[in-house]
Amino acid sequence: MIKTFAAFGLVLILAASTPALGQQPTKTPMETLKKPLDEVIAILRDPQYRSKDKRALQRKSIYKVTDRIFDFVEISKRALARNWRIFTPAQRRDFTEVFTTLLKDTYSRKIQGEYTGHEKILYVGHEMLSATKAVVKTKILRESGNIPVDYRMRLRHGRWMVYDIKIEGVGLVQNYRAQFNNFLLNKKPADLIAQLRKKVAKFKDE
Amino acid sequence: MRVFKASCIVFPLALLLGGCAHHTAPAARTFAPRSVAAPAGGIRTLVVTVSADAAAATDDEDAFADDNLDFLNEEENEAPPSVADPLSGWNRAMFTFNDRAYFWVLKPVAKAYKAVAPEPMRVGIKNFFYNLAMPIRLANCLLQGKFKSAGLELERFFINSTVGCAGLGDLSPFYPDLQIPPEDLGQTFGRYGAGEGFYIVWPLLGPSTLRDTLGKIGDIFIDPVTYFNTATIGIGTRAFDTINDTSLRLGDYEAIKESALDPYVSFRNGYIQFRRKQIHE
Repeated sequence: MIKTFAAFGLVLILAASTPALGQQPTKTPMETLKKPLDEVIAILRDPQYRSKDKRALQRKSIYKVTDRIFDFVEISKRALARNWRIFTPAQRRDFTEVFTTLLKDTYSRKIQGEYTGHEKILYVGHEMLSATKAVVKTKILRESGNIPVDYRMRLRHGRWMVYDIKIEGVGLVQNYRAQFNNFLLNKKPADLIAQLRKKVAKFKDE
Repeated sequence: MRVFKASCIVFPLALLLGGCAHHTAPAARTFAPRSVAAPAGGIRTLVVTVSADAAAATDDEDAFADDNLDFLNEEENEAPPSVADPLSGWNRAMFTFNDRAYFWVLKPVAKAYKAVAPEPMRVGIKNFFYNLAMPIRLANCLLQGKFKSAGLELERFFINSTVGCAGLGDLSPFYPDLQIPPEDLGQTFGRYGAGEGFYIVWPLLGPSTLRDTLGKIGDIFIDPVTYFNTATIGIGTRAFDTINDTSLRLGDYEAIKESALDPYVSFRNGYIQFRRKQIHE
């Protein structure tokens, strides 16, 4: 009798705990990406940023969202590729910081300038490359034509983060890698960091 | 001289937003997951999630000390996009020339044109020229043995030329099957294993390679615009097409250039990646 009772109790505990476990599945890469991208669109729509002097403020709000979904350390590392090894840990940090600023700044200025209120994002689907890597395929739908944008994501600490973007088949990481490689053929890591800082400072003035 | 159309003065205009509906990637139906392995689920996920915050705090420090570049191995399969550039001296000079031509001539003209021509009209004109160039795409579908695509090209041409009012309207967004990637002779050569040769930047026509240049020359012969009654009208038509296209993409070239450390290398790499994708699909 007691045994049965105990068994019943055990079943109850299991029954109670299983849904709790079940409620914590890792979100699919597509779901993880969709929420922040929708937030970015909401920020672009938000009337409080309509006047031109609010643009910088609007970019700040966008950065808060993109910081959550983009793995900028991984992007920086992949863009440097083998050259990562010739950077000291401190240089890697400096490089990542300035490169991140460059990416965030140029891309958010671009979407701020382009957004008309009619653009939509179509989530085409996602493909698992392995248990921890995936590609999420999207299309930006615009009146003058669609743009395919693929996000490469990887699972880290239970979260999917973006480490590369392909726009019309052109990969961001590969593109910067070609530039950095070429630059570092006859210049040093410190020069690269300095050059990027100069570029970023120029934007700040505008 | 279809060249004017696809590469405009600066190819990259086509890069970000050259989009047109027909450039779009294969639709969802062809999209089969390579592996359905669920990302770590159940209990493991719970444990991972709980420890994530604690790990993330120290993780950033580790990330900068981490020498592991294993991702390079997994990328070996995807051939790294590089191209021979023996003419880099000439190419860089032409890149600068085209850059000036864009800012001094093409951009102001396209801006003025944009101010007087409403967007639906400009999109219609873009569609019209795209529809008109159907023979190039059809011939190259056939040359590559893509008979199904060839049929769809014809179908699209027929629908857009009739229901779409002589090609001004593009109905392919309503029939996603009709949105097939545009083929050209450069891609056909690539399909049959021809390499790029080397990179070359043409004045006004922009980035190309030896293979793609030969391809463009071949495509001229099947381009209806070539058979407009005088050469002047033909060139004028292409110039107009370029201005119209540019008016729909103002700001793209500037944005890519701004984001680049070395715009010349960025555009060269972008062109090669873009063409390899086109050949692949």
